[in-house]
Amino acid sequence: MSEKLRYAEEGEVHLDFHGATNTTVDFIIGKFGLDALNEIFRKVGKDVYRSIHEDLIAGDTEQLVAHWRHFFTRENCDYDIDVGDDEIVLTVRRCTAWHHVAKLVGTPSAHFCDQTSRTNEAMAEGSPFAIDTTITGPGACRQVIRRRA
Amino acid sequence: MIPSDHYTRFYNEVFKFLETQGDDVLEAYFLAISHNQEKHILELIQSKGLEGMEEYWTHIKIEENCDMDIDRNEDRLELRMNVCPSLSKVMDNDAEPMGRYCDHCAGWIGPIFDKTGYHLVYDVISRTEPRCVMRVFKDEAKAKAAERDVQLLMGWPGHKVG
Repeated sequence: MSEKLRYAEEGEVHLDFHGATNTTVDFIIGKFGLDALNEIFRKVGKDVYRSIHEDLIAGDTEQLVAHWRHFFTRENCDYDIDVGDDEIVLTVRRCTAWHHVAKLVGTPSAHFCDQTSRTNEAMAEGSPFAIDTTITGPGACRQVIRRRA
Repeated sequence: MIPSDHYTRFYNEVFKFLETQGDDVLEAYFLAISHNQEKHILELIQSKGLEGMEEYWTHIKIEENCDMDIDRNEDRLELRMNVCPSLSKVMDNDAEPMGRYCDHCAGWIGPIFDKTGYHLVYDVISRTEPRCVMRVFKDEAKAKAAERDVQLLMGWPGHKVG
């Protein structure tokens, strides 16, 4: 699985980084507004995840699905991925990141999950696919890859 | 979710944006992260001193998969980072590394040592090599003496160097 991944870390995980992400989200919005935060996530999606982005542009979803499996498993999330003919659905029933931040600070930023929505959109930008993220509850979401109409 | 494994690459994008807004903004961000980190380390330092610091970084060494040697004596704690996973990931990255990425480390921990009465000597060695040496002293004179033996001394908000 990980042979296909541009980034495929192993070893321990440091979940407290999610707390720093939450602090960062609030800091950027507080100083510069939501558009600035969105632009940072756009760069993450297109530049940091350039390999996934380029695969999607080429019509290949395999690396993104492998990325989901690798990292949602590493973080011990409760999730599954359904690969269908018309769409690929990632269902996250318990997001470890969100719940870890909730444990640290009480209530995560209202924009904490923008990291997922905006980064997904950026990875898919200019590709035949759209990736739609729907927050379905506290620390839960549904992410769907489907071909654009 | 941006995986915790990829936080440093996200961090790098944040730094690049903030650098365009000015050094004062970057420092304000370091202070915000420092405040965030207090919940993980401040009480350990206040209650256990150098031993508490060793406890914190022993935990970090494991969780962040650091190649790091930790040495403590009655005067100081030394962290010798042989391979920094944070800068290593930022350099192993399809996005461009921020030139002053290493500054964040002293940027968040320096203010915490200032609050707790310890004296930090942070030798980054080089901003393009993923290794560094951090020493924390009880005694200010010993810290000042140690500053003479560094390659690239790093400052932090409220403590400029060079």
